[in-house]
Amino acid sequence: MVSSKLISTLRELSRSDKFYIMQFLISELAQQETELIKPEQAYPVWSPYGADEAADTMLKALQATKAQNHA
Amino acid sequence: MPNTERYPFLAGDATLGEASFRPYLPFTLVHQQVSIAASGLLDTGASVNVLPYSTGVELGYNWERQTTALSLTGNLAQYEARVVLAQAVVGQFETIQLVFAWTQATNVPLILGQVNFFMEFDVCFYRSQLEFAVSPKALLE
Repeated sequence: MVSSKLISTLRELSRSDKFYIMQFLISELAQQETELIKPEQAYPVWSPYGADEAADTMLKALQATKAQNHA
Repeated sequence: MPNTERYPFLAGDATLGEASFRPYLPFTLVHQQVSIAASGLLDTGASVNVLPYSTGVELGYNWERQTTALSLTGNLAQYEARVVLAQAVVGQFETIQLVFAWTQATNVPLILGQVNFFMEFDVCFYRSQLEFAVSPKALLE
């Protein structure tokens, strides 16, 4: 939680110090982003990308069931 | 009948904060007399809906009775999969029929993909606001 004291301190900084703080925070955020994906660790991707044949089979099964229900 | 419902993104891992937020849709799955509360990962890159093995068993499906086999891709390619159909109730919308690739994998999320979840619903993602909006497909007159 950001305290009002911190906000007050930041407001009192000079223009150049404010720029420095801004650059520091951007750098910190960028560093945190890179740390999210750790080296030498497996990240399984469960999404069945490009499973077009399976999709076609499933659509046909769905259409057959719908036709059966309407018959 | 409302046209659009908004849902929040949910955190997958509290230690990772905003990076772990995912669009999980709460809905109800119905098969014959069995009804279960489910949470589906909206995955626009997935060709098909995927039902984890344990969820299929919970719904009362018998593996041996599902005769249409499927070949999936990615990490799911190593597991057998079969076609199953179930009724789905999303929010206050009308019940629809979803077709799933029922996989023997158990540590996979329930995935809602192009066939046929995204053929039935239009979804708009507002990731910066950690929300997404779902509405049934527009019926052409």
